[in-house]
Amino acid sequence: MSAFLSNKVFSNISKFSREVKPLVSLRGITKKFPGVVALDNVSLDIYPGEILALLGENGAGKSTLVKILYGLYTPDKGEVIVYGEKTKILSPRHAVSKGIVLVPQTPHLIDSLSVLENLIIGLREYGVFARVDLIEDRVREIALSIGIELDPRKPVATLSYTQKQLVSIIRALLLKARVLLVDEATTLLPSREKEKFYTLFRRFTEGGGSVVLITHKVVEALRVADRIAVLKSGRLVGVIDRDRARVEDVRKLMFGKTVTNNLQVRLKRTEHIDGGKRVLEVMGLWVSRWFGDYVVRGVSLSVRRGEVVGIAGIAGNGQEELVQAIVGLVKPVRGSIRLLGVDVTGKGVELTRKLGLGYIPDIPMRYGVSIDNTIEENIAALLVRGKIIKWRRVNEFTSKLIREYDVKAPHPRVPVKVLSGGNLMKVLVSRELAIARSLLVAHNPTRALDEVSARLVRRMIREKAVGEGVGVLLVSEDLDEVLELSDRILVINSGRIVGVFDANRVERERIEELMVA
Amino acid sequence: MIEELIGIVPVFATYYLVALGHGFFEKSGVLNLAIDGLFVLGATIAFALAAYTLNPWIGVIGSSIVCSLFGVFIAYVATKLPVSHGALGLSLMFLGYGLSLVVGIPVSNYVYAKALNPSTYTVPATDTVLVVLLASSILIGVVLHYVLDRTKLGAMIKASGEDPHVAEALGVDVVRTRVIAGVIGYALIGLGSAYFTLVWRSGWDPKIYLLGHGWIAFAISLAAGRQPILTMLTASLFAGLVRHQYVVQVALGLSTEIAKMLPFIVALASMTLFYVTPFKRKMASPKSLGKPYYREERTV
Repeated sequence: MSAFLSNKVFSNISKFSREVKPLVSLRGITKKFPGVVALDNVSLDIYPGEILALLGENGAGKSTLVKILYGLYTPDKGEVIVYGEKTKILSPRHAVSKGIVLVPQTPHLIDSLSVLENLIIGLREYGVFARVDLIEDRVREIALSIGIELDPRKPVATLSYTQKQLVSIIRALLLKARVLLVDEATTLLPSREKEKFYTLFRRFTEGGGSVVLITHKVVEALRVADRIAVLKSGRLVGVIDRDRARVEDVRKLMFGKTVTNNLQVRLKRTEHIDGGKRVLEVMGLWVSRWFGDYVVRGVSLSVRRGEVVGIAGIAGNGQEELVQAIVGLVKPVRGSIRLLGVDVTGKGVELTRKLGLGYIPDIPMRYGVSIDNTIEENIAALLVRGKIIKWRRVNEFTSKLIREYDVKAPHPRVPVKVLSGGNLMKVLVSRELAIARSLLVAHNPTRALDEVSARLVRRMIREKAVGEGVGVLLVSEDLDEVLELSDRILVINSGRIVGVFDANRVERERIEELMVA
Repeated sequence: MIEELIGIVPVFATYYLVALGHGFFEKSGVLNLAIDGLFVLGATIAFALAAYTLNPWIGVIGSSIVCSLFGVFIAYVATKLPVSHGALGLSLMFLGYGLSLVVGIPVSNYVYAKALNPSTYTVPATDTVLVVLLASSILIGVVLHYVLDRTKLGAMIKASGEDPHVAEALGVDVVRTRVIAGVIGYALIGLGSAYFTLVWRSGWDPKIYLLGHGWIAFAISLAAGRQPILTMLTASLFAGLVRHQYVVQVALGLSTEIAKMLPFIVALASMTLFYVTPFKRKMASPKSLGKPYYREERTV
């Protein structure tokens, strides 16, 4: 039934898109940030009943465009036309009143407040002294209609990432959204959950709404969207109907060069790993959350010189805490961690760093960079081991990294916060790769990156292992990535290692089974 | 015994209301370092208006209004402009001290020249008055708790204090919300400070700015994690300590100087106590307290 309905919608779109009036139109939108032209004369229409995918490599201007539509930024030039009327969207409140709602990648929710509190503060129909639980029934009803179970009185902090994203969807429905701006909101979700969201989006468009889906995943965009708009360096370089879109063409538009179709080339391996010295040895590690349960339950593992050990698992099964314990950010309750034979258990990050550990964190903004400082300063902070910083050398080095990793930044002295999410990640990855001498701990290193950058980073990680004999602990929710990079694969589930595999002799299905068991 | 407890009421009402107002305002994310200066100013204005009109209630209302205006000013400037909350608050503190002398000394001379008896312009501390004072203070605390815990306004205030960027994205007008919190918070600070000169002390003294009662209220609020109901507890404790300072002093054999530090020592101790226990999550300060807020800035 739903398949039938959605087919009908597709044909409607291609037939009527020239006659149906767009819900929202952008005309000649330009937005500059210090040193960067984020958007350059972009004109685009968004029609009712369609899913429009906005594709582009890291830093292409996708997020900026969406933030303009949501009133978080004001454009320098150009106009926004909403329902045929020229409108200056002044604030998110204003956008919401026009039926435009954003579902961001990092949930815009206040952790310490309950779900209800988070939702009511955006609802204009309630006065300031309205009781928060007035909306409880409506929220429960909507939650039920999209098929999730959740206690809306609980603080947002207790929800999983997927649940938080679903709360954002509930919010959009509660606000009677007509245009849903989905900014990489599904990128971090496990694939099964992703499907749930796509079904929701399809249902939303069947009701006459439209979805703008921002993503850097080409294949997914082609599968889900009705039309695809491609941004490159702030310019709109193409809008294609899905029927006519081919993956290679879209990739070519995105990256401006032909990208090999086979993105999963097997990378070179280190030979004779077995004889190598153990760089990292973890024995019976238990880690608990603050005043809470154990989230890592007796994990033992080891990484040898030049070996890439991949940890596969669904987000929230103890990966975060395991990684933080190894790096020295949290103190384990029991067990031991040895780096290069030195006991580093609970001794802090300074020691592990001194022993040559590189760390690519899951949330770069929180653990990886200082966003108010410049690229150069962020690199110098860890790279310089002496007390005096030789800025000229740092500058040369930084410029080299910017070139090598194709970071979209005007120069090394811009504050990191002006960079797009992907470019920020590249700065971080390049730094950590440059300083890792014994072990590199990488937690979802390519999640925020477009395909070309992701491939570059994977290759660099591999080269680091093969060329310099650095051990790599790769923790990733992307199973393809784990399969592609690892020599050995461990599967983590509920804080336990539930399977160990040789990467050359492993069935994907077997790992997936263990991940969800 | 009962008399001693009754004697605490004006002290409690003053501290409790000032601490409530302060905590309510800070929940919205504005660091309120102006509190002591504006407490002194409010107390002085209450005294001045009451002495001129011979009606203490005009003093109480006037003090609340003047303090609310300062609340609006602080909330607006600290949110709209990327200024340091600390610098803004401390400047206003000294401004409050100064203004209180400018206003208070002529009025003090006027009261002296006219030989006004304090009973003509202050609130008589009869049992009825004290009961009403106590009941109304507690009621205000309960109402504030309800507002913060159960209403949309409370959620808006807490959201603005936790993360103004996210609050804005969720549809909160952060400037408006903080201004509302400033008006309500400072109206209560004004009310409490009026009780200081008109009920507790029954008079004005130019050295009022050296007493640090605003800071004690600050500590009371902080020690209770800015929670209205818990503040009731800490306010009672501090009121008792201050009111019966001499008893405590003699009982413990302390010097006057040490005894005067006692409330602050207790504040430090209670804060430490809270923050090493699982209470800390409940008692934590708003995450964005005192952080300058730039609205349009490219962040990732």
